[in-house]
Amino acid sequence: MIELKQITKQYPGQAMPAVDQLSLSIPEGEICVLVGPSGCGKSTTLRMINRMIEPTSGIIKINGNDVSNTDPDHLRMGIGYVIQQIGLLPHRTIAENIAIVPRLYKWPKDKIKKRVEELIVMMGLDPEKTRDKYPSQLSGGQMQRVGVARAMAVDPPIMLMDEPFGAVDPIARTHLQDEFLRLQKEIKKTIVFVTHDINEAIKMGNKIAIFNAGKLVQFGTPEEILTNPINEFVENFIGHDRVVKKLNLFHAAEAMQPVRCLVHENELLNAAQKMKDTGTEVAFLLNEVGKSCGHITLADLKEFGEDLVGLRKKVLRTEKAFVQSTTSLPDALSLLLEYDVDYLGILKGEELRGMLSFKDIRKHVYRKEGD
Amino acid sequence: MTWENFRFALVEKAPEALLEHSLIVLITIIIAILISVPLGIFLSRPKFKKFGLITLNLLNILQAIPGLAIIALALPILGLGMKPAVLALLFQSLLPIVRNTIAGLIGVSSDIKEAASGMGMSRGKILLEVELPLAMPIILSGIRTATVYVVSMGTLASLIGAGGLGNLIMGGLSLFRPEYLIVGAGLGAIMAILLDRMLSYLEFRITPPSVG
Repeated sequence: MIELKQITKQYPGQAMPAVDQLSLSIPEGEICVLVGPSGCGKSTTLRMINRMIEPTSGIIKINGNDVSNTDPDHLRMGIGYVIQQIGLLPHRTIAENIAIVPRLYKWPKDKIKKRVEELIVMMGLDPEKTRDKYPSQLSGGQMQRVGVARAMAVDPPIMLMDEPFGAVDPIARTHLQDEFLRLQKEIKKTIVFVTHDINEAIKMGNKIAIFNAGKLVQFGTPEEILTNPINEFVENFIGHDRVVKKLNLFHAAEAMQPVRCLVHENELLNAAQKMKDTGTEVAFLLNEVGKSCGHITLADLKEFGEDLVGLRKKVLRTEKAFVQSTTSLPDALSLLLEYDVDYLGILKGEELRGMLSFKDIRKHVYRKEGD
Repeated sequence: MTWENFRFALVEKAPEALLEHSLIVLITIIIAILISVPLGIFLSRPKFKKFGLITLNLLNILQAIPGLAIIALALPILGLGMKPAVLALLFQSLLPIVRNTIAGLIGVSSDIKEAASGMGMSRGKILLEVELPLAMPIILSGIRTATVYVVSMGTLASLIGAGGLGNLIMGGLSLFRPEYLIVGAGLGAIMAILLDRMLSYLEFRITPPSVG
């Protein structure tokens, strides 16, 4: 638990304080994202937690202990620190870079070696290939992984991350974010995460603190902030597509409805009767081995009537319209548009678990808004 | 010119002169490093940066004074022999090392220093384990420049009885024996080139592999 009480940072010669009377409580085991436009004081706030910057006034407590009573070097050894520029030592190998903090703690050599190995594997890198390389021999994404590994070397309960994935390309960034979230489920660190990207904040944060001009504007879960932006600034900052952004918080499985009508591929003409019997407007088709291979709606059947060739063509177009249950709603929505279909089949592995339409997405978001 | 004179210069005179010359160079460079590197470190600390320019200008002036003049000026105080010679050469060699030490240390990326400090490395540790190793190629390059200076300027030391390769050159001049002159100047040049190559190789070895 990190508590900031009435923190102010005033730089000499500047009219406005960089951070102004900030109070914030960061709960244990969660990712708290500090987000805001540049110059809003989010990085300054982060850097005051490990005393890279000293506050002008106010108290910062970690687990009840005032940080200003701890020797800064000692304090920092116990807090993981990742910055955008990574700052790997270019004259040290990857293994040596990761070993920096364990060496400060004077761990025995074989313990360090074991831990380094463990971390390289944890970060999805090959120890044999990576260990003895120099930072400049790695790609940006790999370097950033090493940066995270180095920060986690002594398993610190708290990690400070200042735009950790800001310098890598968008594809690598998404990958790193996903991996980090998966890792966080296991390690459950208290993480303070700074970014200027609201999408990253929504994705990474259990809690989001929105900053502007040195002040905390709103603090809450991503859902709270997207549902009830406190003022115009927050509204503008998260963008007018906030409802679309909110879709990011849900998976296809949460919004889907059950499939009520299944028809074999070679009984297409019986589909209308079956749909009537079950009272639905859509039927999913099964091929000869019982795998779902598309769907057909009541409207299609009306349009094509007895024209089996036309129907088959129509079905073929829905062949790809399936997604896994863990797909995020924006991706599902995008696929609905891309395949130009009314329904997506939701799979878990190979098995059809449900279906998703525009209406289901709307209903899901609306229901959540209403709660 | 006779072969006999060459042989005499090479076999009888050169070994001693080379030894003396090496000794003068070695002593001068060691003292220069011991003064310049700590001075450079000191002047690159944020608190003392403001003294940097003054010191560099001062050293610039010292370097601009002709070596011969310094030798002459030091003579009354330090007398004849190696001491005034080393002093004169020292003045010539401080500047490149101090300048490169400052440049090297200031050139270390602030991101790397920030990351190191953020991990809890103390200032001393950052200096020893991060800043100096990263600045070392540039510091060494300063030492290399200074060494080449000192090898060539060192020939003047013989004027005040410090010996060295200068003895052969001066001797050759006064005795009208070009063989002595060629041996003295030639060995000086070879020594300068060899030391330059050796230090340059060392520089290459300690430079961390970079992008490419």
